[in-house]
Amino acid sequence: MKIIFKLTEVLLQRVKEDLRRPHPFAFERVGFISSRSGRIPPNGWVILGYDYHPVDDEDYVPCASVGALIGPGAMRKALQVAYNEPLSMVHVHSHDHRGTPAFSKVDLRESARFVPNVWNVRPNLPHAAIVLSEDSLCGFGWEPGSQRRIPIGDFTIVGVPLRIIRKNT
Amino acid sequence: MSNPAELEELKALCPGAQEIPEARQVYIFLPNLKLPAGCKPPQADALLCAHSREGYPTRLFLSQPVVGKGSNWNTHRIADKTWHTWSWNYVSAEQRLIQILLGHLEAFR
Amino acid sequence: MNKHQRQSFLGPNSESILRSLRIAIVGVGGGGSHVAQQLAHIGAGNILLLDHDRVEDTNLNRLVGATEEDVKRNALKVEIAKRLIRAIDSRTDVTGFDCLWQNAADVLHDCDVIFGCVDQFTERKQLEIAARRYLTPYIDIGMDVHEAAGRFIIAGQTYLSMPGQPCMSCLGLLPDEAIAREAAEYGAAGSRPQVIWPNGILASLAVGLMMQLVTPWFPGHNVTALLEYDGNSQTVTRSLKLDLLDEIRCPHFCSLQDLGDPFLWS
Repeated sequence: MKIIFKLTEVLLQRVKEDLRRPHPFAFERVGFISSRSGRIPPNGWVILGYDYHPVDDEDYVPCASVGALIGPGAMRKALQVAYNEPLSMVHVHSHDHRGTPAFSKVDLRESARFVPNVWNVRPNLPHAAIVLSEDSLCGFGWEPGSQRRIPIGDFTIVGVPLRIIRKNT
Repeated sequence: MSNPAELEELKALCPGAQEIPEARQVYIFLPNLKLPAGCKPPQADALLCAHSREGYPTRLFLSQPVVGKGSNWNTHRIADKTWHTWSWNYVSAEQRLIQILLGHLEAFR
Repeated sequence: MNKHQRQSFLGPNSESILRSLRIAIVGVGGGGSHVAQQLAHIGAGNILLLDHDRVEDTNLNRLVGATEEDVKRNALKVEIAKRLIRAIDSRTDVTGFDCLWQNAADVLHDCDVIFGCVDQFTERKQLEIAARRYLTPYIDIGMDVHEAAGRFIIAGQTYLSMPGQPCMSCLGLLPDEAIAREAAEYGAAGSRPQVIWPNGILASLAVGLMMQLVTPWFPGHNVTALLEYDGNSQTVTRSLKLDLLDEIRCPHFCSLQDLGDPFLWS
């Protein structure tokens, strides 16, 4: 099972610019990348980033123990995006360092909460959660109907230069 | 985009009919379209192109060629799927969608 | 000594970058056979070849790697290209699809770069659309010999089609009348003039574009996407068409509907 994620450099920069913005009380920001998808024979997926949807300031919930906690309003808006058009949704946040990022326990817990919600509106599409560092990405995807998270094997940032970050090599 | 009433007409013939846009053109997907009697296969997924394409005013694509009917079959990639069409020209775009469809199916009668 | 030592200027990790690339060549005739050869030499790790055709006597004037023996046994062009690649670099993973590319197009979904080396405008158009659906850079090469006012003119171009940038339709590289003419002739390429050296030049430019895109040796962001070849004056020039379209967003592929597999959600 192979999952790859592709997005344009332009979109990635939009995401990073938003995630860098300070928030009145949250230590970090979160957003969603709405995406289309396609199959890779024999049983893989490619998720193609299309647009970015920042979580609005008012949709964060104060919480001392985590960097960012988003409330039901954020989730509802993300689900509305997926409902309006058939879209895969990719939860995204960033870590402020260079090199390969990794999901914390909290990150894993939050992404595990997010994906089943999206399946309520788009059960037949894959969804994902990714984390960015200053120069890399990592993430997990969930294929329709499966609770098992699968590491995203390749990230391709489409621009000049073409950047491909491979996790399986 | 297609005329909604004309799309409904197609849906009466083919319940799953829906528009599939690509590169500023709109195609109409007709799943499991019943082909005229004597065709092999008897039905196929179809893609109706009700606009000018490759010098044809309209075109009909099928998920597989019809055996022994139509000539000069050729293969295309549209909307991330593979389709087959044959040489059958001059089905005008200036008519209702269902007439365009039937005009193409005439090739197999 | 590493056989790629002489290309170490391409940058640190360039060898591993090239080795990890998954590249498709659609059409391994006159132009595509050059591309295949060059990709093998530079160390591309995974090459997919898509072509349904078999070699004929009239291909021998330009099909790199083809022999008289291949003609006698009516060999597949993908087989010839595969043999050529493997003889240059046995580590390259090569997969051949001896069918119309449309019948194997799903394998393009996870390619990093697609080279289009096909004869027909309608094929190029379909390939570019297929590449844009999966945000894949598409490099197209096209060459033509035509007669005008009693003399022969050799011309061609190499174009890097990048998602978000002007497409071949924006640039007028897919004229409707040419596509209509092809359809009327039922796609028969016939005995159009074809010679090896323009193919070689255009293929080299195409591989060069890819190398600018993927390896660190070219740190700028100004890959010259459209290169026009004049085979009579033996010149290659950067097309001014892109300057004219600099601020214009491609209207042909700006919609959500042009991304991914539309049948997944229909």
